[in-house]
Amino acid sequence: MIVMPILAAGMEDGTLTKWRVKPGDTVRVGDVIAEVETEKAMVEMEAVTAGVIEELLIPDGTAGVKVNTPIARMQGDAPSGSAPRPQPAAAAPSNDKVSGERAKDVPVSSIAVAVAASPAAGGGLRGRIFASPVARRMARAAKIDLHSVVGTGPGGRITKRDIESFSPGAAVADHGVSSSPTVVASGDAVQALSALGIAPGTYDLVPLDGMRKAIARRMTESFRDVPHFPLTIHVEVDDLLQLRTQVNASLEKQGVKVSVNDMLIKAVAVALMHVPAANASYTTGGLALHHHADISFAVALESGLITPIVRSADTKSLSTIARETKELAQRARDKRLTPDQFQGGTFSVSNLGMFGISSFASILNAPQGCIMSVGAVEQRVVVKDGKPAVASMMTLTLTCDHRVVDGAIGARFLVELRELIAAPATMLV
Amino acid sequence: MPTTKALTGAAPWVQLETTQKDWDAADPRLLGDMLARMHVIRAFEEMALQLAGEGLVHGPAHSSIGQEGGAVGSMVALRADDQINGSHRGHHQFLAKSLGYLRKDGLDPVKPFGDDVRTLLFRALAEIMGLAPGFCNGRGGSMHLRWADAGVLGTNAIVGGGVPLAAGAAWAHKHSNTDAVAVTYFGDGAVNIGSVLETMNLASAWKLPLLFFIENNLYAVSTTVAEATGEPRLSGRGLGFGIPSWRVDGMDPLAVSLATQQALAVARKGGGPAVIEAEVYRYFHQNGSLPGSAFGYRTKEEEAHWRSRDPIERVGKAMVARGLLKPADIEALRQRSVDVMQSIAGDLTESAGEKKRVIRKELWPSTQFRDVGLRGDLSELDSLHEESPRTADVKIESRKFVDAIADLIGRRMELDPRIVVLGEDIHRLKGGTNGATRGLSARFPDRILGTPISENAFLGLGGGMAADGRFRPIVEFMYPDFLWVAADQVFNQVGKMRHMFGGDTAVPLVLRTKVAIGTGYGSQHSMDPAGIFATAPGWRIAAPSNPADYIGLMNAALACNDPVLMLEHVDLYQTSGEVRTDDMDYIIPPGKANLVREGSRATVLTYLSMVRRSMEAAEKLDADVDIVDLRWLDRASIDWDTIETSVRKTNNVLIVEQGSLGTSYGGWLADEIQRRLFDYLDAPVTRVTGGEASPSISKILERAAIAGTEEVEVALKEILR
Repeated sequence: MIVMPILAAGMEDGTLTKWRVKPGDTVRVGDVIAEVETEKAMVEMEAVTAGVIEELLIPDGTAGVKVNTPIARMQGDAPSGSAPRPQPAAAAPSNDKVSGERAKDVPVSSIAVAVAASPAAGGGLRGRIFASPVARRMARAAKIDLHSVVGTGPGGRITKRDIESFSPGAAVADHGVSSSPTVVASGDAVQALSALGIAPGTYDLVPLDGMRKAIARRMTESFRDVPHFPLTIHVEVDDLLQLRTQVNASLEKQGVKVSVNDMLIKAVAVALMHVPAANASYTTGGLALHHHADISFAVALESGLITPIVRSADTKSLSTIARETKELAQRARDKRLTPDQFQGGTFSVSNLGMFGISSFASILNAPQGCIMSVGAVEQRVVVKDGKPAVASMMTLTLTCDHRVVDGAIGARFLVELRELIAAPATMLV
Repeated sequence: MPTTKALTGAAPWVQLETTQKDWDAADPRLLGDMLARMHVIRAFEEMALQLAGEGLVHGPAHSSIGQEGGAVGSMVALRADDQINGSHRGHHQFLAKSLGYLRKDGLDPVKPFGDDVRTLLFRALAEIMGLAPGFCNGRGGSMHLRWADAGVLGTNAIVGGGVPLAAGAAWAHKHSNTDAVAVTYFGDGAVNIGSVLETMNLASAWKLPLLFFIENNLYAVSTTVAEATGEPRLSGRGLGFGIPSWRVDGMDPLAVSLATQQALAVARKGGGPAVIEAEVYRYFHQNGSLPGSAFGYRTKEEEAHWRSRDPIERVGKAMVARGLLKPADIEALRQRSVDVMQSIAGDLTESAGEKKRVIRKELWPSTQFRDVGLRGDLSELDSLHEESPRTADVKIESRKFVDAIADLIGRRMELDPRIVVLGEDIHRLKGGTNGATRGLSARFPDRILGTPISENAFLGLGGGMAADGRFRPIVEFMYPDFLWVAADQVFNQVGKMRHMFGGDTAVPLVLRTKVAIGTGYGSQHSMDPAGIFATAPGWRIAAPSNPADYIGLMNAALACNDPVLMLEHVDLYQTSGEVRTDDMDYIIPPGKANLVREGSRATVLTYLSMVRRSMEAAEKLDADVDIVDLRWLDRASIDWDTIETSVRKTNNVLIVEQGSLGTSYGGWLADEIQRRLFDYLDAPVTRVTGGEASPSISKILERAAIAGTEEVEVALKEILR
């Protein structure tokens, strides 16, 4: 039996904000199983015994849960008296099921990648990590959480190579900046280039690390397998920028700074609430219409990229979003993201505006139905009331999975978004 | 119209019967000795059955009650330096010979037996009960009784299984300039089994001083002799092999003794083997204390008839009739026999409540003793040296593999007169079918022995020779698949002998055979036997990949006191390698593998011809791998230090062998590796083997059925992907 723990001196009760596990999950000692809010802090609650979660006794968001109150039952514990709920996997499929639990039911391969795990990749249920014995041993010694390691072995197994390439320091050292440039990764690769007239020795060969391999595989699969199309719209952002200035002025004392991207995340999330058909994933079992707008945002890393998630961004204030994106981006750079922080988003935002890129079309982050590419804010001449005028403009390109998001849906979403950006105060209310 | 002419066997076949004159003329001491030995044996057997009835004998107790006349009648004619071995029904054989060893002038029927006789009986009964004071430390039990000092080489639970081994002892006698003989005892059931007939043939061909003593008790369990054979006069078997044969009434111990003396006279003079068939009768069933009639395969009347011809009564009455003993002497002998056995039973058991007794706890062997002495401790290799480093001044020449074999065997035979080589055609064809014994027949005509095609007999003969210890045989199987033909001798006898008889019998036998995969000899000549031998504890396995290793491994194998399978490969015979000319005496001891290529990403474990194949594959791919030439393959001799060091480094294992998956070697090794090195593995242990079925003769199908360089390449690519 799992009980509400005493997480701070004098704590009498706490709010069970969010479960991180669901019935059927296997937990090991030290796994984060829930988030608990106390008077002073949001605390990640860790499992103190290993086992399989049988039943969650207290739902998400329950306030005032007294310490030592049973909150979940583990397999092997006495039944709680309440009728056992059907296990998700065993329940008959229904639309509710597909839409409601879609995100969590994706067989997650415990693979930390820039893009969400595809259902086909990896093996097994959430919680079961496939790793070779020596990889486990090495990870233990190096205190590496296997959840955050990409498995590139057979069936997605984490192997020795994956652990070795996991360390950021080691990755940099290996990446060709060292003085011993040529690493012969494999005879095949060298031969392939030779056949094209590129002789060995005329280039540095950087070994593929796990993240690079995952990006290569997932992007290839997405680009090849998903019928996609771009929709482009130009939006005027003067009001948005003005609102940002005001908001930042009011938040200055709190040390929070809202970025354009944070505002776009919020705007996108609100727009998705208005056009739920765009907040969707294609599955063979049906179209999954997500209840929450969990917005993945791309963070560039030294050797790749990753997409942490702002959960339910539609419900969050700009300041909350700003805090979260800042922390998540930092964790991403530190390689400290936990799987739930980068797996299971419903919609992605990718922004290259800071580089001055005007417009681009991203590759879909499967199984998400859309990804929005954000260009630079530019002063452009626009026609207003039949006269030329100068405005701050931005080009947004929405890449859509045509299997789930048709052109009209994508268009309606972009129009909704443009209106929110044009009148940004509406998304604050 | 063809004419026919009656032919007769080359050797005589006679029925020997005694007359009153013989009894009147018999040496009183001989009669007294027979009477005393039979009384002791009967009382011993009665006690064994009594204890079995009380549940104190684990497993069967095959009693000899009723059959004493055969064993005792024959063994009073033997000397202490003669040797015997016996069958599953062997208590009386064991005791008759052991008593003769303790009392070279005969066991006196009127004197107390003496402490040494009591100790013999105590240790024999303890062995039957599976207790530590037994002759084989409790491991042998009723069916494996061995006392080498007394000339009992061991009784045997495989019907006919001991017969080839006795031929080894007989060979050793013949070639040690003694006139001692070996006698092998077996029953009517064994007469029809291959080991016995093969050995009769071999013993006759080589004129071995070996007596085949058939205790024909008329029943193989419940099957009668008449049901089992068209010639129920079993001594007739000898005729087909040119062996002089005697048929005798086993209930007449004097007749048995006289027949044995006649046979011995021939054997001791170099006339070769003899067959003696003694018709005897066991009063009880196959085992236990119920009569056979209780199981319905014979009648009470028949049993009563045979009991009326009891050998003990016959000798007793004859001695009383001649005034050699008084009836009271015989009663006293009987009483002494019963008393000593009751006293011994009292020493082995203790009371556990009313009318119940149990074995004394302190007499059980320690469970720690379970595997002790399964193999020797290799201390016999201590005085030998390993190859010195190949510095610039050492003398080296290139030598063909097969010539290196012949050179080395020749050198060892020259320096060690105990070494004898047996095998088919090894004395002809310029050194056997492959030339591995080239030139040796001319140099050592008495010790290069071309055998008949009877692997069971000549491997068993080698085993008997090895256990005897005066000679150290090298046995050649022309093809490894023949191990199945000789499986009883290879595995049940040679492989288990040391452990089964208590853990200290040296069995220095080297079995050479060549893996002939790839030669188109098809399904029944294309196995790699390493996998099968690896499952047979007791055997060590050496597998050299080059001539220099052959020298070191063969030197170790020949010095070793355990049976060693020396694997060769036809692919290697014509290859050459550098060998030392200044030192042909170094050894590569068990536990010494060779790291032949160094790398970091995988450990390739291989042996014999696949070492070269693996090297080729790795070179072709420029693979970053360790390749370990295992050299010693069996569980006890494999080099775990080298394997573990490599796997801890590479975290990946590929086991490479050439032969079929079915009987392949790597399975046990993969199992052992995953248990020893689980936390160091990055992937499941991978294996390269041939296909499931044994290779076919068709060249294309054969290539498809075995593993070669290409298969190793595929596996390496997969691992290094």
